[in-house]
Amino acid sequence: MTALVLDIITTAAILFAVASGLLIILGVLKIVNFAHGGFLTIGGYSGLVVTQLGWNAWLAYPVAAVAGILLGAVIERFIIRPLYDRPLDAILATWGLGIIIGQLITIVFGREIQFVQAPITGATTVIGETYSLYRLFLIAAAAMVAGGIAALMNATRLGLEARAVIMNEQLARGLGINSGHVRFVTFCIGAGLASLAGALITPLSSVDPNMGVPWLVNAFMLVLVSSVSLVSLATAALTLGGAQVLVSTFISPVIGGLTIVVLAALLLRIRPAGFGNG
Amino acid sequence: MADLTTIPETLTRQTSSGRLVPAGSIAGLCIAATIAGPYLLDAYTVNILVRSFLYAAAALTVDVLWGYTGILTFGQAAFFGIGAYAAGITFTYMDFSPQTAVLALVAGLVASAVVAGITGWISFFHGASPLYAAIVTLALPIIFVQVLYSGGTFTGSSSGLVGYNTFDLSVEAWFTICGIGLVLLTTATWFFVNSDFGRVLVAIRENEQRCTYLGINAPRVKILLMVVMAMIASVAGYAYAGYTVVVAPEIGSFVFGTELVMWVALGGRGTLIGPVLGTIAIDVTSAYLSGNLPYVWKLIIGSIFVLVIVVLPQGIVPVLKSGLRRLWSAATGRDAVPGVAVPALSEAPEARRAGAGSDAAALAVADLARSYGSLKVLEGVTFKALGSELLGIIGPNGAGKTTLMRCLSDGYERTGGTVAMFGRMIARTPPQGVVGFGIGRSFQTTSLFETLTVAECLRLARYRLNKTRMLSHAPTLALPASARHVITATGIDRQLAIECRHLSHGMKRALELAMVLALEPSVLLLDEPTAGLTKSERTLIGSILVDLVQREGLCTLIIEHDLDFVREISTRIIVLHQGKILLDGSVAEVVGSELVRTIYAGAAQQRPAP
Amino acid sequence: MSSTVLEIAGLNSGYGEAVVLRDVSLSIRPGEIFALLGKNGMGKSTLLKTVLGFLPAIRGKITLFGEDVTSLPTHLIARKAIAYTPQEQTLFQDLTVEDNLRLGLRDDRGFTEGLARVSEYFPIVGKRLSQKAGTLSGGEQKMLIVSRALLGSPRLMLIDEISEGLQPSMIQRLTEILLAERKRTGTAIFVVEQNVPFAFSIADRYAVLKIGEIADDGVAGDELAAVRVQDQLRV
Repeated sequence: MTALVLDIITTAAILFAVASGLLIILGVLKIVNFAHGGFLTIGGYSGLVVTQLGWNAWLAYPVAAVAGILLGAVIERFIIRPLYDRPLDAILATWGLGIIIGQLITIVFGREIQFVQAPITGATTVIGETYSLYRLFLIAAAAMVAGGIAALMNATRLGLEARAVIMNEQLARGLGINSGHVRFVTFCIGAGLASLAGALITPLSSVDPNMGVPWLVNAFMLVLVSSVSLVSLATAALTLGGAQVLVSTFISPVIGGLTIVVLAALLLRIRPAGFGNG
Repeated sequence: MADLTTIPETLTRQTSSGRLVPAGSIAGLCIAATIAGPYLLDAYTVNILVRSFLYAAAALTVDVLWGYTGILTFGQAAFFGIGAYAAGITFTYMDFSPQTAVLALVAGLVASAVVAGITGWISFFHGASPLYAAIVTLALPIIFVQVLYSGGTFTGSSSGLVGYNTFDLSVEAWFTICGIGLVLLTTATWFFVNSDFGRVLVAIRENEQRCTYLGINAPRVKILLMVVMAMIASVAGYAYAGYTVVVAPEIGSFVFGTELVMWVALGGRGTLIGPVLGTIAIDVTSAYLSGNLPYVWKLIIGSIFVLVIVVLPQGIVPVLKSGLRRLWSAATGRDAVPGVAVPALSEAPEARRAGAGSDAAALAVADLARSYGSLKVLEGVTFKALGSELLGIIGPNGAGKTTLMRCLSDGYERTGGTVAMFGRMIARTPPQGVVGFGIGRSFQTTSLFETLTVAECLRLARYRLNKTRMLSHAPTLALPASARHVITATGIDRQLAIECRHLSHGMKRALELAMVLALEPSVLLLDEPTAGLTKSERTLIGSILVDLVQREGLCTLIIEHDLDFVREISTRIIVLHQGKILLDGSVAEVVGSELVRTIYAGAAQQRPAP
Repeated sequence: MSSTVLEIAGLNSGYGEAVVLRDVSLSIRPGEIFALLGKNGMGKSTLLKTVLGFLPAIRGKITLFGEDVTSLPTHLIARKAIAYTPQEQTLFQDLTVEDNLRLGLRDDRGFTEGLARVSEYFPIVGKRLSQKAGTLSGGEQKMLIVSRALLGSPRLMLIDEISEGLQPSMIQRLTEILLAERKRTGTAIFVVEQNVPFAFSIADRYAVLKIGEIADDGVAGDELAAVRVQDQLRV
């Protein structure tokens, strides 16, 4: 029982961390970044590089974040900006980018599955159950990500401007906010978060050039169901993630993989605002 | 009033057969090529091409859905996969025979149709966002593949099913059959998208909301289209299974689904030939290059794809076409722009307008309310309107006038109260249904279809009343006398072949009015019909409206800011202020009212010290 | 140092194909209060939106503090010591009063001083800092947007139909505050209005906009002018 509860919480934490970057990009830029899977992969391979170079495994996280931010900057400038008023095309273009990233990684690193050194290994006992220490660490990591984003949004000038742009870009510009700049910075942060999330999840399994794809779809559905609110995202991650764990455990893991997608699609049909406030 | 024009019989026949001959010859040439192909090409290429033809058929369905109708779908791969697995499973467990071949085909068709129907029903509904539909179609192949995995040995799980008995045909025979099939499919589809109904699809893509206000049930059209395209894709999948003797989850995966979208985008969305040729070209090239540079080739395609989306969203084929056109005009000194067929206008028979002969009020609104959360935009709005009334609705900005029109024409819009037409409640009917009640609504900002011609827009407005051809263009266009009056009085009758985006603002407003009248409404809702017009255009529209109300007995509600204009043409005025009716009375009463003057000109008596 | 704060010359503007403003010219001097009057739909808001860059000018030139801003992007224009109070979509409904005010300044410098000043004008603003702007009443929201505009001590204020829906006492208060600010900083104020008495009680000069063209202008001095303009705007 404890293991189940911990599974649900850790799964929710992982989903939250993975989806957070997608959420802030959707909120501020109003586009869906389908290269998100590619950024996750980059994060994973950053971890691989750190492992192969023999560096301290903790460095994987900052390296991943920086890699994501830099790549995000280039992509925003040359691909996203021209597609400002063509959101459906932005989905396609970012999907194409995801493919490009995947292929480049394959060329550089090869197709095989490889493994990354985790900074924390082993297990610990929680309420009579032995549980992976790393998974528990991920709960803390997700909480830090959430805290970081919340602090950014609520306590900084940039965050205030970003919230203004999310609510009403026209009015924001009329008050002197350079919305183009806000979009740029937000995309970089979102890409950095995605990459960081990739580094966070790799020690759970492995890296391969297509590791990001399954996460992309789930993250995508969660974000849509959250209607641009961090709190809603956490709620969605907990509810839908929990459902996934339950279905995987009691019915079948294969069907479990579908839970989030199917439930989210149905929820959106009934209530287009999902868990958010409409 | 212009006289009725009729086209002589011979010309009519020429127009419809005008396309048949060139199209038929091209198709014939292609068929000849597919018969000759195996003898001219090497075995490897022939082998690849069979597969490419089938992929091209799937890509064609994506183009019809996305390129023409604007439905971004990643899900056609799932239907391809359903057709393939129907064959694979049937032939594996029931062996191959003419009966099982038919069974497998039918099973695939039925399964795809059902799945497509459900997908369409989930995705296309009043108020759905196109993003949601894209998501559902994305989920479709994912679910399909997971179902295959969970099928264990029955479906072959991740390795699929191999080696079942299949049709006893040579590669060359497959080549010819699939080739001819593709040619016939493309030709038929070409006629379909270039018919009057094809214009409806384009209209849905450009402005679905406007379509619903013209009485077109866009959600239903999209669902039916999805079902038909799914069935076509499943036939292609069926042939694929029969040919390759392998069915694996990859052919129904969302990677394949996105590849189809990529090929359509690269070939040229909305051109049909582009995606077909593009798919074949890319698939054959991949086959050759991927042996040597597997990852680099995918990288190249991916990069070209991104480049095309950002820089050349219309795709490669249209660019080639316009390049060829320019070469042609340079070489021959003549313009190669194809002529646009223009229908002849004719008189529509006097249909029974909704509510004709009814005693009830044309429009009866009771306690209408519209709130957004705690913000009350309309509250307690109650009034009746009769035929032959020209009701002017005035009020300051933000008073709720346009919201009122929305609530009258869209059953989902209001949050409280009732709206009835000729005694029938509109309840929760979507706009396309309310048009059936007899409402015709024009919009504040010209809400037309950029690439459609004037004639095509008018025909769109007749969708509900006239049958729409699916394989050709009708040579005549029947319009009611009121619409034809507007067209001839404003001069748009000389601009039938002009695309909407090239019309002047005044002409667009006139076209908007003509389209609304073409619906043969019993109640007309006009939202600032004279906005942005010059004085003379204003006078013209005004006289047309007065004429219509008096002659046809139309009940007309008109929102206007130009108070002189409203005063001249209205029989009654309603003043709306902060969501409530301030005053409802004759023109004289309203104009003379102190209250109204206060609202409009500010606090009249206040004179604070300087 | 140029002699005009805002200069509009031969301006044509509109939405897509619809030309709403035709050949509009006017100029506002430093420290001057200028009223643009007109009925609904005559193009007043369109003019302000074009000045601010929300709408592109089809023809003509707009000069702000001596600089040609005709094709400058909105956010750069908005940073030039001007304050704009729009008629619709004026506030971020879900942000607090304080956050809305903060957005009136480019950064947090001078916020405390500015806040103290506007709280004196509108005490209620100072008391409701952590309330969501959407929960304020209509009149209170107007006070908030005027406060926001005054925070940065602008040299030009563009005010779009602020008196609409306000009680006479509020309008009186507003007049006093705007005149006091003009006295304090020498700011110019461009007031767009339908309310002739309010406009005339505050303005030095006026112009009337009728179907997109300037139909009348002059000094906002006497009662005669007020009555004549009132006539032009009557229902």
